[in-house]
Amino acid sequence: MSETRPPERPRWVEAEGGCGVVGLASSAQIAGRHIHGPLVQMHNRGNGKGGGVAAVGLSPEQMRVTRKTLDESYLIQVAYLRRKVRTALEDECINPFFKVERKYKVETSTDDALLKRFDVRPPDVWRYFCRVKDEVLDRFIRSGGLEDVPRAKAEDEFVYQNSFKVNHKYYAGKEMQAFVMSHGRNMMVLKIVGYAEDVISYYKLEDVKAHVWIGHQRYPTKGRVWHPGGAHPFVGLDEALVHNGDFANYHAVTEYLAQRNIAPLFLTDTEVSVLLFDLLNRTYEYPLEYIIEALAPTTERDFELLPEQKKKVYRAIQATHMHGSPDGPWFFIIGRNSHYERRFQLVGITDTSMLRPQVFALVDGDVQIGLIASEKQAIDSTLDSISKEHPSVPKYADKYWNARGGSHNYGGAFVFSLHAEEGSGDMRLISTNKFGTVVAAPHRGWDRADDLALAEPLRKASSEGSYAADIIERKGAEPSFKAFVRSLKDASGDEVNSLFAGMISYAQKGDSQREEMLQLLTLVLDRRYDTGRIRRSRLVQKATEALDATLRTSSRVEKNERSVFQLLDIKSRRKLRPPESPYDKLVVDCKGFPMEGEDGVSFVIVRARELGWNQAIVFGAQGQRFIGCGLGPRTKGFRMDVYGSPGDYLASGLDGAEMRVHTNGQDQLGQILADGKLVVYGDVGQTFLYGGKGGESYIMGNAAGRPLINAVGRPKVVINGTCLDYLAESFMAGNPLYGGGFAVVNGVAFDGKGDLEELPEPYPGGNLFSLASGGAIYIRDPRKLVGEDQLNGGRISRLTDADWNLILPHLKENEKLFGISVDKFLLKVDGVKKCPEDVYRKIEAVPMITLSGKTQMQDLGE
Amino acid sequence: MTSSKDIYGDARPETSLDPSERLRFMSSHTVTRADTCISCGMCESLCPYGVHKRVEGHARILLPDDRKCIGPSCSVNYFFCVANCPTKSLSITPSDNLRSLGDARWSADMVLATWKMAETAEPMALDDPANCGLSGGGFDELRFVLPSRTPRYDPEDISFSVELNRRGTGEKITLPVPFYGGGMSFGSISVHTMLARLKAAKTWGTFTCTGEGGYPALLTPFEDNIVIQIATGLFGVREETIQRSRIVEFKYAQGAKPGLGGHLLGDKNTPDVARMREAVPYTSLFSPFPFHSVYSVEDHKKHLDWALAINPKAILSVKVSTPSDVDMVSVGSYYAGAHIVHLDGGYGGTGAAPEIAKKNIAMPIEYAIPKVHRFLEAEGIRDKITLIASGGIRTALDVAKAIALGADGVVIGTSELVALGCVRCGNCESGRGCPRGIATTDPELERLNTPDWGAERLDNLYTAWWLQWCELLARLGMKDISELCGRTDLLRYRDRPAKEVGR
Repeated sequence: MSETRPPERPRWVEAEGGCGVVGLASSAQIAGRHIHGPLVQMHNRGNGKGGGVAAVGLSPEQMRVTRKTLDESYLIQVAYLRRKVRTALEDECINPFFKVERKYKVETSTDDALLKRFDVRPPDVWRYFCRVKDEVLDRFIRSGGLEDVPRAKAEDEFVYQNSFKVNHKYYAGKEMQAFVMSHGRNMMVLKIVGYAEDVISYYKLEDVKAHVWIGHQRYPTKGRVWHPGGAHPFVGLDEALVHNGDFANYHAVTEYLAQRNIAPLFLTDTEVSVLLFDLLNRTYEYPLEYIIEALAPTTERDFELLPEQKKKVYRAIQATHMHGSPDGPWFFIIGRNSHYERRFQLVGITDTSMLRPQVFALVDGDVQIGLIASEKQAIDSTLDSISKEHPSVPKYADKYWNARGGSHNYGGAFVFSLHAEEGSGDMRLISTNKFGTVVAAPHRGWDRADDLALAEPLRKASSEGSYAADIIERKGAEPSFKAFVRSLKDASGDEVNSLFAGMISYAQKGDSQREEMLQLLTLVLDRRYDTGRIRRSRLVQKATEALDATLRTSSRVEKNERSVFQLLDIKSRRKLRPPESPYDKLVVDCKGFPMEGEDGVSFVIVRARELGWNQAIVFGAQGQRFIGCGLGPRTKGFRMDVYGSPGDYLASGLDGAEMRVHTNGQDQLGQILADGKLVVYGDVGQTFLYGGKGGESYIMGNAAGRPLINAVGRPKVVINGTCLDYLAESFMAGNPLYGGGFAVVNGVAFDGKGDLEELPEPYPGGNLFSLASGGAIYIRDPRKLVGEDQLNGGRISRLTDADWNLILPHLKENEKLFGISVDKFLLKVDGVKKCPEDVYRKIEAVPMITLSGKTQMQDLGE
Repeated sequence: MTSSKDIYGDARPETSLDPSERLRFMSSHTVTRADTCISCGMCESLCPYGVHKRVEGHARILLPDDRKCIGPSCSVNYFFCVANCPTKSLSITPSDNLRSLGDARWSADMVLATWKMAETAEPMALDDPANCGLSGGGFDELRFVLPSRTPRYDPEDISFSVELNRRGTGEKITLPVPFYGGGMSFGSISVHTMLARLKAAKTWGTFTCTGEGGYPALLTPFEDNIVIQIATGLFGVREETIQRSRIVEFKYAQGAKPGLGGHLLGDKNTPDVARMREAVPYTSLFSPFPFHSVYSVEDHKKHLDWALAINPKAILSVKVSTPSDVDMVSVGSYYAGAHIVHLDGGYGGTGAAPEIAKKNIAMPIEYAIPKVHRFLEAEGIRDKITLIASGGIRTALDVAKAIALGADGVVIGTSELVALGCVRCGNCESGRGCPRGIATTDPELERLNTPDWGAERLDNLYTAWWLQWCELLARLGMKDISELCGRTDLLRYRDRPAKEVGR
């Protein structure tokens, strides 16, 4: 509906790289400083050429206006790159049209150290709370022929067009002087040329509270024309959008918009994305589900599996908007004040091929929080920060998950919606998928009082009660663990708290006690069981705290005390020495270590291995990457245990060593893994075992997209959950029965009570074993749900005795590691034990014309 | 006639004559001697090129050595044999072989000239038409603006060295010559060919890339001269190979087939190759496109960091094709930590690519080089990153043109294979298709060449090129190849002599 179109064609297009993104929606208002932590942790996902945050659902006191003004007025924020233009701009574009209820300059930091970090001075930002003057609006409606449009929406359009004019004249013209950063109701955007965490510091947002926050570290690749207007988030009207990725069809989308008389001014694909969203939202008035469908169409097999009615609607949407749908790797996080529905929303949308990393998380309880980020560790860092202010929030989320783009069950997009509860007026959070189905945290039977009791800091010197003593003083970790699980049926939060405190003090007694407690805490973290009145996420938090405390009190490596556990941290990292005995364990505290580089954790481990250490325990990881990389060939006998939130490329290139990850893994785990053993007590992210060549891997949960792609040689993998899509594409691992590789997919999951259950489908993706020329997938599929339509080149065949004998030892090892019983669970279907060939199916390679020896590709061209 | 030895003194590298038995009958012209010949010896006494040879005591004069004949253009000379033959027994016709040799880009003359250089190490004259192909585009349309007089110069004083690492991090590597060998994998070429390339690279202090798929143990003695490639299939990539290599090349794309990964069709995936790549023998190996762990520039940085986590001293090269935003890709690669940006244009290899993918996609390399060069300059980082060009660089003058367009150095590939006797038949993808045993892994065919012979042929070719560059720089009054970098003012389009290239 924009009436003017800029005469000039786009002068340049900024190549948008990937970026670090994080978003949260919380029922309680969250202070800006809590988003500072995750942004610092994702520093390496930006290059300091653009950072920004958006906040939705602000507080009237902090904004220095009344509740009514905050809710109803447009909060126009103008960034002045040149201070002098302010009067002119106000006289031209603000004062004649708006009743300005309040205006003031956004406070900025005067910290010299901070200011020195900026290459480009951040703009002065002025805030204007305004409504359009009645006579101006009347004139606008008349001249624009908007009589049929509700007056409120016409006002929206006026504000939108006015901002466009400001940006066009003062920013997209010859000189960049000023631009409108945001103009929505009860929401704002601040952005600079710099790192996103500096936005928080510079504009003093540490204490500014909001229900929804999104933050963005930008990594643009374009030259020196970096300017704050190009940073994310971008705004439509009442929404702010950040984007991680890069469209392949920027020009096509721009053309699509041009046909609708919409012209981008800032020329990045993110701006185009938000223009699309605004078009679908305000002009076409689509519901959110259809907007998502227009952006990320449901295709192929998923489309076929939709209900008929849905197919009809979606087909129409796709026919109309396919040209405007972004193609290529992208992931949007949208923070939104859905003004007319009276909701604040946080939306995460994944592209259909899910080419970008994304993690969703949900925290239930007094404070409900929905989170979306590029990396799990960013979510953990956010929660860690929030839990300091809101004790009811645990440091780990109740539920983490990845989205499969374009999925027919949930659409690859999730929405966290905040609305005021009737009566109390308190905000409540509902999380739903694209189709509106509620996504709930597992196991909601936990007790609030027990949770708060457990949340108390672990007592230092505990008077070990009989409860704690009973568990701790059993012989060995396994019996203690069993007693612990039994006790949870009626254990109170206080008791469990004292138990953990007791463990820490018990561990001080000596090496064997420390070892025992370490094993016990590891079991508490690794296994899934009924936690009774205790909340699982809190239990994980406290067990992790206890584990950290147990390990942090080990003797320090530089002190040369006689102990099996030798602690190395950021301060003592240069004091690494050879072990005194081959049984010594190097305990590495990751806190403070950089994410990568020669001062990083991965090099500490490489040096330790060179010095003759045989075991390393890495704990407190906060996204550190490449742990286990660089060890080189033939490392059999070296073992690593990893706790915390390790980063990408974990265990890549492992060649003989063993690594156990007592948490979820990130992306690119086990790339080119050649030999050894990798155990992950959780899920793993994108492209697990890319180009893998061997070794044994055991995954307790799911593998996200593209696991085992291009794997060769003899990798042997057990995945107990499922994979989102593209499992074992181009798998080339020989014949599994003659020394080749295979993957077992069990398609099961633990429910909130620690019981195993079958997933609705063992493999939901539309691409399985595509173009594979070797290896096999053994999939637990007693209900024959996997179909030929998911395959591209492979075939489903019967499981033979030879196959079963091949995979059984691995399933037994899997049972030992995760407690997933072969006889008691995997082979049982509806409570009845079946023979293996009725439960497992084999997917194997067939000789294909495209892969055979003939040079058929030549035929294409000749 | 003065030999080049007299001009260049001792600076000229040692070379030897390395003829190829199988190339003996390849000539531009066929000289036919009819039966009416009376073996008078007139032709021998006239021809200054040595085409005719009469041995005293033999009943008949020897067959003419066609390769020495300069063709019908000789008719202007008083010594033209055809005109002087008393029995009119001689005739000169274009060679049948020649007609079937080469293509527009690698013209028959250029192939012959390359063979000659590989055999004799004698440089081509700078104005020889065989310096350019007949494609009507690319480097073939570019000409240097040269002063006509060659001043006296001492090759010792001219430097061709290229600094590969211009960042603060990693090992400093200086190439004494402005080129290194491009990625050709074990599987695409025979192990003898790989050895020949490496031996020559070692002699010249430069590198050669072993392509995707790892390399056989036979090559380990040449480790210091190997560029290891991490390509999208991650075939043969192991930590130890990354740890042992001084240069690690990330192959994001190949100019000959952007948007496609590597292809090794089933026939060439012999058991030896399959063992190296840990795949199933005789199945086609398709690498995916792109890297599945890299979908953005920050993934790209992470990817490079990964190699550094394995070998922190490594020099990282990023090989990309030439899409329209190649300039931004290059800047992004610099910020991601790359030492070398390697632009691969579409004119070059690969024999093994599907026909449909060859030479149909992406920007011509002669446009991409100046675009990136200037963009990096504007960004202020041109002196911090090495710009390498490849893709259809066939001759010494192509190398010089690429450098004048803005590259620091080049990567060569096909010209090396031609020096080894490649006839450009284009059957590289089939298992027993290579008539010269170069691009094959067939145990029988690969014995057609020996590594030592191949290395000497390459030595000769490099020597000839080096001599050509010496003359070129001397004529331009330059002492260092880096002075040539970005001098588009020295280049003109063939049909538009007034217009500076790339402006």
